[in-house]
Amino acid sequence: MEPSSQPQPMMGVGSQPYPAAAPYVPVPGSLAVPPGSQPAAAFPNPTQLSAQHQMVYQQAQQFHQQLQQQQEQQLREFWTTQMDEIKQANDFKIHTLPLARIKKIMKADEDVRMISAEAPVVFAKACEVFILELTLRSWMHTEENKRRTLQKNDIAAAITRTDIYDFLVDIIPRDEMKEEGLGHNPIVGLPPAMGAPADHGSHPYYYVPAQQVQGAGMMYGGQQGHPVTYMWQTPQGQAAEPPEEEQQQSA
Amino acid sequence: MPDSDNDSGGPSNAGGELSSPREQDRFLPIANVSRIMKKALPANAKISKDAKETVQECVSEFISFITGEASDKCQREKRKTINGDDLLWAMTTLGFEDYVEPLKHYLHKFREIEGERAAASAGASGSQQQQQQGELPRGAANAAGYAGYGAPGSGGMMMMMMGQPMYGGSQPQQQPPPPQPPQQQQQHQQHHMAIGGRGGFGQQGGGGGSSSSSGLGRQDRA
Repeated sequence: MEPSSQPQPMMGVGSQPYPAAAPYVPVPGSLAVPPGSQPAAAFPNPTQLSAQHQMVYQQAQQFHQQLQQQQEQQLREFWTTQMDEIKQANDFKIHTLPLARIKKIMKADEDVRMISAEAPVVFAKACEVFILELTLRSWMHTEENKRRTLQKNDIAAAITRTDIYDFLVDIIPRDEMKEEGLGHNPIVGLPPAMGAPADHGSHPYYYVPAQQVQGAGMMYGGQQGHPVTYMWQTPQGQAAEPPEEEQQQSA
Repeated sequence: MPDSDNDSGGPSNAGGELSSPREQDRFLPIANVSRIMKKALPANAKISKDAKETVQECVSEFISFITGEASDKCQREKRKTINGDDLLWAMTTLGFEDYVEPLKHYLHKFREIEGERAAASAGASGSQQQQQQGELPRGAANAAGYAGYGAPGSGGMMMMMMGQPMYGGSQPQQQPPPPQPPQQQQQHQQHHMAIGGRGGFGQQGGGGGSSSSSGLGRQDRA
């Protein structure tokens, strides 16, 4: 079955703003300004850093804020597109996903008894939006690493960065998440069963501090400390206690 | 959109698992998933096979996650049927608020169209009832109980289409012997519910059969 919706008009971020970040000159007066996009407790006091560290730190902050703004813009456009597409939907016999299979997955839970006809229809659309959003967030990580092929570790990165994807952490091997946290991928440490290894080695020199800063933030406050997640998921308080305690998906 | 997708060449650690016919039933088709993924990416982007398979697993997990929450709510309210509003409520509870607004519109339009089909197929409701009783003996009692609503023609078609390949001849599990009349499902006040939404009752009998997967264990969920 062919999808009846039009292709998504995506803002293509062809290149990262590295050139803009490189010539940034540190201003001595900015030492008194705390970093707005990072939790203060996650980083040492700026006044204790040496001049060189301060410069690298500010560059990382600048880069990170620009990247964050771009990604938020992409997500806003994503949701606007979804609303427009749904308003144009008028044929419910054509679905991008098979309803019978959705129903079967719902029925895998033995507590589920009866399902109304509209439930798989709602899920068909919800899953499409879910796939689109997850893929978009994963692609952001692909672009950050200067690649054109979406890989499994990009999906792992999107899952670790996004609060509402917490229920998916069991699907991603721990090594994938560790990979994201460290910011670089030592190949010798990878088990052979894993998927395609990432080519983090191609990072530009000045990008490494950004990854380290990012990793430090995550290690300190878990995923909640991540700026992107924090800025975007302001209503996440409602999901403070997800009821899913154990989701083992095994053969 | 050019089809520039190919394998990245890396080994797939889930190949053995996904190749099993029964395991495949736990996931949505990889072709559909891949097609949707491409819509979110630039034209020259490529997707590795393990990325597609990972998203397959994530989507199934998403369905089970939302369904579990909706099912718990139905049980608390002593209802047996999960409907669209239950799913939207579950998404809100589990942090997917952004999904609810678009899906509300989607569900509203679906119910409008179903209502139109129900009105258009009023004359054929008799034959639909006959076919339902013939193909789903155990569901006949439920169908009879909902005769007042008049099952929509397209709904009946959908039920037969979905029922045959999956539940033909299989005994329904966890089906209570005495069918009870449907409870009021107007408890959600999020938005106006079209009359066509009631057409869903006529198809509940078709959902009697069920298939269980030993891979998913959530029976002791609080």
